Amino acid sequence: MNNKNMIEAKKGFFEITLTVNGEPLELAVKNGEFLLDALRRHGWKSVKKGCDTGDCGSCTVLLDGKPVLGCLVPAVTAHGRAVTTIEGLGTVRKPHALQEAFVAAGAVQCGFCIPGMILSSKALLDAVPAPTEAEIRKALDGNLCRCTGYVKQVEAVKNAAKKLAGKRRA
Amino acid sequence: MKNIKYYAFPSTAKEAVALLLNKKYKAMALAGGTLVAKTLPDTVETYLDIRNVPIKGIKLQGGNLVIGAGATFDEIDRSKLCRSWAGGVLSAAAAKCSSQLIRNMATIGGNIARPHSFNIFPVVLLGLDAKVRLAVRSGAKLTDLPGLYAASLGLRPGLDSLITEIIIPAKTRKWRCEFIKLAKTESSWESYIKLFFSLEKKGRAVQSRICVGALSPKPFRALSTEAAIAAGAAPQDCAAAFAAELEAARAGEYRSAAASSLLRRFLEAVK
Repeated sequence: MNNKNMIEAKKGFFEITLTVNGEPLELAVKNGEFLLDALRRHGWKSVKKGCDTGDCGSCTVLLDGKPVLGCLVPAVTAHGRAVTTIEGLGTVRKPHALQEAFVAAGAVQCGFCIPGMILSSKALLDAVPAPTEAEIRKALDGNLCRCTGYVKQVEAVKNAAKKLAGKRRA
Repeated sequence: MKNIKYYAFPSTAKEAVALLLNKKYKAMALAGGTLVAKTLPDTVETYLDIRNVPIKGIKLQGGNLVIGAGATFDEIDRSKLCRSWAGGVLSAAAAKCSSQLIRNMATIGGNIARPHSFNIFPVVLLGLDAKVRLAVRSGAKLTDLPGLYAASLGLRPGLDSLITEIIIPAKTRKWRCEFIKLAKTESSWESYIKLFFSLEKKGRAVQSRICVGALSPKPFRALSTEAAIAAGAAPQDCAAAFAAELEAARAGEYRSAAASSLLRRFLEAVK
């Protein structure tokens, strides 16, 4: 085994290199720490801690473009990979089409589940630019929302898909 | 997971097995991690990330369907090959696993590495007569599902060997199959019962597979029921035989009644 392919814990920490929201970084992650906790500890507070058992989807992040549960991914697993949180999608002044659509459709109530839900939606639209309602519901089936009935979120994803398709045509 | 001293990411199965067998490292392989990341034994000191090991593809090989152990439930759900094989039962079963976020992470290899009542693929692969290829100290080893869970195998996948491929034989390609998960909610990992039915008829039944999961860590074939089907018994008689077999396996009244009704419906639907 090549040493390049092995990282050793030093004083309870692993030094990993990764890209977070497009920015290459070196992070020290605690031994036994999951990606959710590591990201929050380093300031990405949009990654929410809900159930911590992989049931609610509040901790969803994109790992190499795929939505995963931050609470089930050992932080060291992100070594050499690209992580995207909602902070990497858009800003208050320049929101992503999905963020705009969620606000416009009234899909946000308490907002706790929304970062995860938007990231799952982003991965869906990247893979399927014009999804059916069934595809949207399937893509969001791991993101629980206790405020709404999911109707507005599905509507928001449909609207965002249309808007993004319009941008691509323009 | 706090006892982890090393984190390794081998690039070949041979390298991974060498690490697993090296007593210095006390290594364990983790694929998707959805089942074991939170419950890693304290004795494990090296976390073996096998994402770079080339065991992910889904392909046809010699007429057989070969699924890499690293294929995720989502990949199996979306695979055209899996959707066209045995009536799409593999994809349908993969889609019944928990939520999309779990399906993005969980792998078929991880799902069968340890016998567990609620795992989906052991039941399906038992019904499809699948073989499992393992990378071991001496090279490779091929076994079937019962063999994988038998003590006589003498291996503990993920601790001293690595599952690399699942081979589904060509004969099952056109089989009519059905996978049923009875659970509190669609996304529940826990389930009351998991069933795999398969039947081929040419006038009379030429083959059948009736497999049951969620009653014990290892899935089992309902052999008396299969014998009743082979003997040409009427669907309600096969269902009665199945209920009796499930009761003998201590399935309980609800599960026996529900499962036997589902079998009767399946048999009646196969002309």
